[in-house]
Amino acid sequence: MRVAMIAAAGLMLAAGAAQIVSRAEEPARSVWDGVYTAEQAKRGQPLYVKACGSCHAGDLSGGESAPPLAGGEFMSNWTGLTVGELFERIRITMPADKPGKLSREVNADILAYMLEANRFPAGAVELPRATELLKQIKIEASKPESKK
Amino acid sequence: MTIFTVRIATFAVTALIAFGQFKPKEGEWASYTADTWGSRYRPLDQINASNFSKLEVAWRFKTDSLGNRPEFKLEGTPLMVNGVLYTTAGSRRAAIALDAATGELMWVHGEREGERGAAAPRQLSGRGLAYWSDGKEERILYVTPGYRLICLNAKNGQLVTTFGKNGVVDLKLEIDQQILPDITTGEIGLQSAPVVAKDTIIIGAAFREGFTPKSKRNNKGYVRGFDVRTGKRLWIFHTIPTANEPGRDTWLNGSAEYSGNTGVWTQISVDEQLGLVYLPVETPTSDYYGGHRPGNNLYSESLVCVDLKTGVKKWHYQVVHHPLWDMDISSAPIIADVTVNGQPRKVVAQPSKQGFLYVFDRITGKPIWDFEERAVEKGTVPGEWYSPTQPFPSKPPSYSRNGISINDLIDFTPALRDEAVKLISKYKIGPVFTPPVESKLEGPLATLTLGTASGGTNWPGASYDPDNHNVIAYACNACVTAIGLVRPPKEMSDMDFVHGTAGREVRMVTGPGENAGADAPMPTRAPAAAPGGAAPGGRAGGGGGGGALAVQGLPLIKPPYGTISAINLDRGEIAWQIAHGETPDVVRNHAALKGMNIPRTGQTGYNVGTLITKSLVIAGEGQLTNLPERGRGAMLRAYDKTNGKEVGAVLMPAPETGSPMTYMWKGKQYIVIAVSGGAYSGEYLAFTLPETDEKPASAPATGRQRR
Repeated sequence: MRVAMIAAAGLMLAAGAAQIVSRAEEPARSVWDGVYTAEQAKRGQPLYVKACGSCHAGDLSGGESAPPLAGGEFMSNWTGLTVGELFERIRITMPADKPGKLSREVNADILAYMLEANRFPAGAVELPRATELLKQIKIEASKPESKK
Repeated sequence: MTIFTVRIATFAVTALIAFGQFKPKEGEWASYTADTWGSRYRPLDQINASNFSKLEVAWRFKTDSLGNRPEFKLEGTPLMVNGVLYTTAGSRRAAIALDAATGELMWVHGEREGERGAAAPRQLSGRGLAYWSDGKEERILYVTPGYRLICLNAKNGQLVTTFGKNGVVDLKLEIDQQILPDITTGEIGLQSAPVVAKDTIIIGAAFREGFTPKSKRNNKGYVRGFDVRTGKRLWIFHTIPTANEPGRDTWLNGSAEYSGNTGVWTQISVDEQLGLVYLPVETPTSDYYGGHRPGNNLYSESLVCVDLKTGVKKWHYQVVHHPLWDMDISSAPIIADVTVNGQPRKVVAQPSKQGFLYVFDRITGKPIWDFEERAVEKGTVPGEWYSPTQPFPSKPPSYSRNGISINDLIDFTPALRDEAVKLISKYKIGPVFTPPVESKLEGPLATLTLGTASGGTNWPGASYDPDNHNVIAYACNACVTAIGLVRPPKEMSDMDFVHGTAGREVRMVTGPGENAGADAPMPTRAPAAAPGGAAPGGRAGGGGGGGALAVQGLPLIKPPYGTISAINLDRGEIAWQIAHGETPDVVRNHAALKGMNIPRTGQTGYNVGTLITKSLVIAGEGQLTNLPERGRGAMLRAYDKTNGKEVGAVLMPAPETGSPMTYMWKGKQYIVIAVSGGAYSGEYLAFTLPETDEKPASAPATGRQRR
């Protein structure tokens, strides 16, 4: 927990978003706050292709019966929820041919790649692996006015 | 005493047959589509235009624990007979009985199939089950992921031991072929609900997704009839003709020998009075490449009429010759008695992925309105065999888009249109039946199609309104499938071509429900794969922000994205058509569209099925949206069935993934619908009116409702 707090603080400093630190009850961060690193997304890309690409397509556009993982429909499904909920959905039920096979580390890297593909900014700290911490990151389709 | 009882029972059965078999009460829903006619219609009217928006959740049934992991793809439509709801649910595909008033679980039956279940092509909860009664006994029938037919006592969920072998018929046996490679792992299964007509259970077959088969050789999807009392096989229909049967010559070079699939994976309809069964047959082995099966390939993508008692073919009509577009006939044929040119006609109408409604005389198989065999483009894929013509119904007109022209592309602004034109320049486009292409880096990468793999109208199918003689059909109007073919590595497939894109690694395409059911082993965690170990997703991979075929994140095809159409069967005309579904967030909130007044666009997707009552058409939305005034959710909408005007809506926590049904129990009308997807695991939601708006069950229909 301590490590995570430090990580979160470091991220906020890096993002220059110190003004949001005080709001403790609701998710203080969103996907617009640079919640993964470019390096992590780069690691996630081949992992995505290997584990997810056969159904969701290499470009995340979805398949006959697997929904897209980037773009409008995907964001409609997930906006208002947290990265933690998306992480849990993936962790419990994916990949469809061996649900639960991937480790938290791999899932986090894949998720970082998905965030990058959806054009959310990268930051200085990697996406954490703990669901509780991921549940503190809100998914928002549109960039909030305060962060524009 | 015993003899007396038996005699009464015999008399009751005879009476039922005389009146056209088991007739459920008006307030019951005794078959997957309400009846065996594919109607999804019940003449109830307590819930109507005046009160639909006041609907409240009566109960909800979460399906998470019916299996070893929650399921997010709940597709069932429950049945309701005499105060009990029956359905399948959960990653185990359990059969369950619920109290119709409260949703309380009354019994549950699950089959642990081990390796056989884990290897099944169509896992997860399936679409539902069948109910049968002779007025005394009540039985529930369903097919497990491992392709075994289970017969349960509807009263307590116990196996009926006198049926099959201790209540079970192994569907991989007595199928006029040896299921390969073995009974345990051999590819064949079924996710749809069985249909029971008179005393015959009819069972089809389903396989894996057919984009990238391992082999041109596969098991065959024959259809069989079984005795509902004993489980004994009564008949079989060979969807690929055997050596001495007519139609064998439509498979050239001996290809009928090894070609497979060609099953009936969707709902089957039956006219019990005529004793006729209507089989909607799917695509043969390999959805998009038919070079290993030259010829028209009967009875693939055909509507086949067989005798209920014997399975002997009465007539057939192949709606797509030599299938190359995954235009499986994907939903229940609709049986209707209508009036055409002043003459009463007994018809069967077949909705389709390609947006044609094919209407036949259901006794003779002759089209009600002529079909024209029209010349279609011949493709250039090496080794492929092409049908020079395809049938086009002269009436009714297609009710959803089935081809792509420049005019179908996004046109909110000229700039967006220009971008779309540029985007598709590397693809081939054209009208319905434009052939697939061999994918080339320099282009064409693929043929862009509408009305193919996803539809149009997919498995939820249409409904039929006997009051107005309208087929009510939801259709995706913008579900683009890019069909490109590539040569697979020899170790992956013995096919000359499979679905793929030039420049990208050829990958086996799997569907959901493959290895996802409760029998699939909970895996031991694999170590993280080495970074860089796999080929990248191709040039379009990463940073797309909306997939390869989106324009600034907006759909490539212009609205309406999804529609509900009323197609009148007396006239062969579209009576009305509306966009179904809230405008997606990405369109409502897009910077490039700010200030524009865009009418409701509807939504893409193929999970939407419709329900018809005395006055309404009811359908849920297939996508989530987020609106400031009502938050996150998907709407269950009601339309005036005479004109498509929206008359009410209520919010659901997740999209419709299984078609809605309705029933009346103890004076209250209920609507039950399966919702799931995204972060929301499978749930059956029951709606009813609040106590204050309740009307006496016996109240006659009012003049207003009769118009």
